[in-house]
Amino acid sequence: MSTADTDARLKRLALYAVLIAMAGFYLLPILTGLFTSITSPESYTGQSPFLPPMEPLLPETGSFSLQPWGNAFDGLARGLTNSFILVIPATILSGLFGSMAAYGLTNVDWRGQVGIYALFVAGIFIPYQAVLVPLTQFWYNVVPLQSLFAPLAGLPLVQAYHWKLVALIVTHTAYGIPICTLLFRAHYKKLSDEMIEAARLDGASVSTIYRRIVLPLSIPMFAVVFIYQFTQIWNDLLFALTIVQFGDASVVTQELVGIGVSQAGTNFPLRMAAALLAALPTLVVYVLFGDKFAEGVTA
Amino acid sequence: MSSDMNGDGLSRRTVLASAAAAGATGLAGCSSLTGGGGDEPENPIELLHAWSSGDGNAAVAALIEGFQEAHPDVEFAEEPVNGAARSNLDNVISNRLQANDPPSTFQTWPGATLEKFGEAYADIEGEVWTDDLKENYLPGPKEQAKLDGTYVTVPLNIHRINNLFYNTAVLEEAGVDPESLSSPADVVDACAAVAENTDAVPFAQQTSGSWSTIQLWETVLLAQAGIDGYEAFIQGEGDVDQVRSALENVVELSEYYPSDSSSISFTEANTMVMEGDAAFIHQGDWAAGAYSGDDEFNYGEDWGQVTYPGSEGSYLLNMDSFPYFDNNPSPEATKTFLSYCGTTDAQVRFNREKGSIPPRKDADVSELNTFQQDQYDDFTSADSQPPSIQHGLAVSTGIKTNITSAFSGFLEDYDADATAEALVGAFE
Amino acid sequence: MRNPIATLRNRWSDSDARTDGGEPASERSFLDRDSVRSAPFWVPPFLLVGLFVYGAVVWNFFLSLTDFSGIGEPDYSDLDVENYFVAFSDPVDGFLSMFGMGGEVSGGTPAWSDLTVDPVWNSLGNTLALMIGFSAVCLALGLLLAILVDRGIRFENTFRTIYLLPMSLSFVVTAKFWLYMYNPQTGLINIALGVFGIGPVQIVQNPDLKLGAVAFALIWQFSGYAMIVYLAALRGIPSSHFEAARVDGASTIKMYWRVIVPQLRTATVSALVVITVFALKAFDFLFSMYGGYQPGPSADILATRMVREAYANQNWAYGSTIAVILFVMALCIVAPYIYSQYRRGEL
Repeated sequence: MSTADTDARLKRLALYAVLIAMAGFYLLPILTGLFTSITSPESYTGQSPFLPPMEPLLPETGSFSLQPWGNAFDGLARGLTNSFILVIPATILSGLFGSMAAYGLTNVDWRGQVGIYALFVAGIFIPYQAVLVPLTQFWYNVVPLQSLFAPLAGLPLVQAYHWKLVALIVTHTAYGIPICTLLFRAHYKKLSDEMIEAARLDGASVSTIYRRIVLPLSIPMFAVVFIYQFTQIWNDLLFALTIVQFGDASVVTQELVGIGVSQAGTNFPLRMAAALLAALPTLVVYVLFGDKFAEGVTA
Repeated sequence: MSSDMNGDGLSRRTVLASAAAAGATGLAGCSSLTGGGGDEPENPIELLHAWSSGDGNAAVAALIEGFQEAHPDVEFAEEPVNGAARSNLDNVISNRLQANDPPSTFQTWPGATLEKFGEAYADIEGEVWTDDLKENYLPGPKEQAKLDGTYVTVPLNIHRINNLFYNTAVLEEAGVDPESLSSPADVVDACAAVAENTDAVPFAQQTSGSWSTIQLWETVLLAQAGIDGYEAFIQGEGDVDQVRSALENVVELSEYYPSDSSSISFTEANTMVMEGDAAFIHQGDWAAGAYSGDDEFNYGEDWGQVTYPGSEGSYLLNMDSFPYFDNNPSPEATKTFLSYCGTTDAQVRFNREKGSIPPRKDADVSELNTFQQDQYDDFTSADSQPPSIQHGLAVSTGIKTNITSAFSGFLEDYDADATAEALVGAFE
Repeated sequence: MRNPIATLRNRWSDSDARTDGGEPASERSFLDRDSVRSAPFWVPPFLLVGLFVYGAVVWNFFLSLTDFSGIGEPDYSDLDVENYFVAFSDPVDGFLSMFGMGGEVSGGTPAWSDLTVDPVWNSLGNTLALMIGFSAVCLALGLLLAILVDRGIRFENTFRTIYLLPMSLSFVVTAKFWLYMYNPQTGLINIALGVFGIGPVQIVQNPDLKLGAVAFALIWQFSGYAMIVYLAALRGIPSSHFEAARVDGASTIKMYWRVIVPQLRTATVSALVVITVFALKAFDFLFSMYGGYQPGPSADILATRMVREAYANQNWAYGSTIAVILFVMALCIVAPYIYSQYRRGEL
């Protein structure tokens, strides 16, 4: 074997070593959390959180238990439910509106078009802080949503406190539209035109073409958009903190902030189980549709 | 301070008046939904509180049970604000007041904290604050029930802040006699002895939140500067040297904190004392609540408490109270309830569960545990009952915010000089 | 491929015959205008965005001019820029304090308060330090990873998935993980340091390490994003460029530095914009890490200060003022970016 070969092999080896070390860097905090979360709190010592609990095989590692997950679920159940009530409609609505806006804006031919679109794009980057106080004012003191919503509380599965989630859904929808519009517009610029032209010759209207052609062709993009929005809205804390504030309508990120602290000291197994449980929906989505997620974030 | 309060009150009055007007016009359409009509039969009492779990929840349940035994005719719609901390509760009240829809009453710190919703409260002297109450509340708590000299709220429990709890076995091993300590400096020396002679952590303090450090500092200030120095500080005329000296004592104590003090909570710190991993803890008497839940850890044998050395004769107050709102949805029922809260029966029921003591000096405390009885003796024989700064009695919300912010800096760098300046400056 | 919707547009704009350049809109009936015909599609989302995003931004600006604090309602009859003077009071010392110089910074006393209110210099300094430090390291690490991943490795998909994984987590979750990692007794970092006989080091409350610890956790979360952006850009560079450099005998490092990196300008700019805006939003992380509104002066950024002033201290107008400052900062980053996109016709 020549030296050049050995050299190349060594380089290759070093390359993989670095790649694996970096993978370790990204995985370690999550793995540490996972191992800790399946340790029974009584046996938890914190001496080797990077090892799975393997007592009595390995001393000091703690013994295996799913109890932290059970407790985390009890602690977060309400927040998880509220998060799903929030995320599903908000994701669908912002996706639909985004698709409509992209279609409508790619279709207009007037001077303000770019201006309007620029406003949509800039909307992606506006820090939430810039609108918080007005939003709180709006939902609490301008729109009497709470009392408007009260009659609906008699319906099955509807609770009086759901009005806060409605406010949050509308807010997240509005804030999701800009990024959704951007994603759809990039997609619509690439759509094949033969079909649309054919439909046009058949005398199809603007909305027929949207329903019959553009919408079905948007399905792959809807997957990307939905995954992106699902993650964004699920992960948000700030809007929930200022619009829901606290109480029955709290979402999972709010509940997670305080869990594992106040009850019986810092219960690290419980806290890690709760963190992973709160992250589970987005992690599952990510693992199943990682490529689509990447497509969403790079657009 | 009184002139400050007047200035504050004035601006608040105008704000509230406009809020009420806006509420009346803007929300006229939904007023039928939120209730509050005048001629209808009385609404049930709506009591908002944040005691949604633990001893607080048991205490408020016992209180309401007692009330309903005494007044079966009065309807009650008690509403804990779920999952809420005290600050959340204030948000709810703030929103409700803005909508001109106050509840009957809610859980609040009395004293300077009352300024927050100042004009929304109404005078209950005579109707609730009868001569009986005035005679049987000590001057300290009575003062805290007033806003600008007017009785607006009924304190129903007292937690003490200037305690030093200890684990008997650890102190014996260290050769420290807690009764012999007579100043905050002695506590530091005792900690040194513990560090030298045992493996235990001398002073179980948590620093992940600033509240424990603020109440430690206020206790040391009271112990070193005396009641006059303490009163001067809360009036905004504090002596910067006294403030600094108290902070320096805290800095010395911090040498004896657990190494992970910044990542533990109060419960963990307290558990260290229970398990013999720590010698002392400075806390409000809720710390004893955890001890009484442990059959293996008994008052007098396994743990003890002394008044924080140097602050003997003072009972540093932390209280909860139920105020009376003007424009009350259930005026008569609320007053009946508040009057009941002022009785010894109510206060004993509540405090038996809560671990605190009744504010009335004529309560029969034989139903409370031995530790509470000892505390109650200290209370009734105390020369002064100064209000706590950390627990909202002594200073208004704005000043408290400044003090908290000064301490968040202190917890980073333990710079006594700069923090002392900031604390005295908190009133400007 | 021609742009189908552009085709569509032309067809609709004149239904009879297509004349080059189309016809001016005014000659068509109002209802036939494209802006009107497509209105049902873009107007509803535009109204939502207009009301909740831009309407709220404007409203927030007016709120920042009021004296709104405590309970009650804002009074819009007496507007002034006093809050901005308070926010930037003591400008010389304040500005110097961002670099650890200058004297004591004094605050101002606005009409709505009896007490002195601190200016924003401290949190502004922290925000800038966090933004610059975090984005620089994030981009560098992202570029490095992208180059490594781009070297025709096996299991590329797996590596990419792992590197981007933290990005799918919430700030709140990330903070919980890193709070654990930084724990002086049970945290992995201190356990590792202990192997070298160092520590345990107090990290989360240490004024010298706090902001760095926050930045480090954020780098963990977002460097994968920078990698994905760079990787896409690297893949877009024709392989002839790599080969040409090879033929010239350039070493690998030189090749990347001289030939490839300069071609990544666009990717850098777009990644930078997104990442700095993420840094502006780090509130969720700090709130979760420090269990509340007060992360302490050495980690206090404008995002936390704004929410604290408004929601913890009920100084609504002052909170709005800080929000305007944040908005302007975001605008300074985003506006040039959008303008350049527009110039290049990519909007």
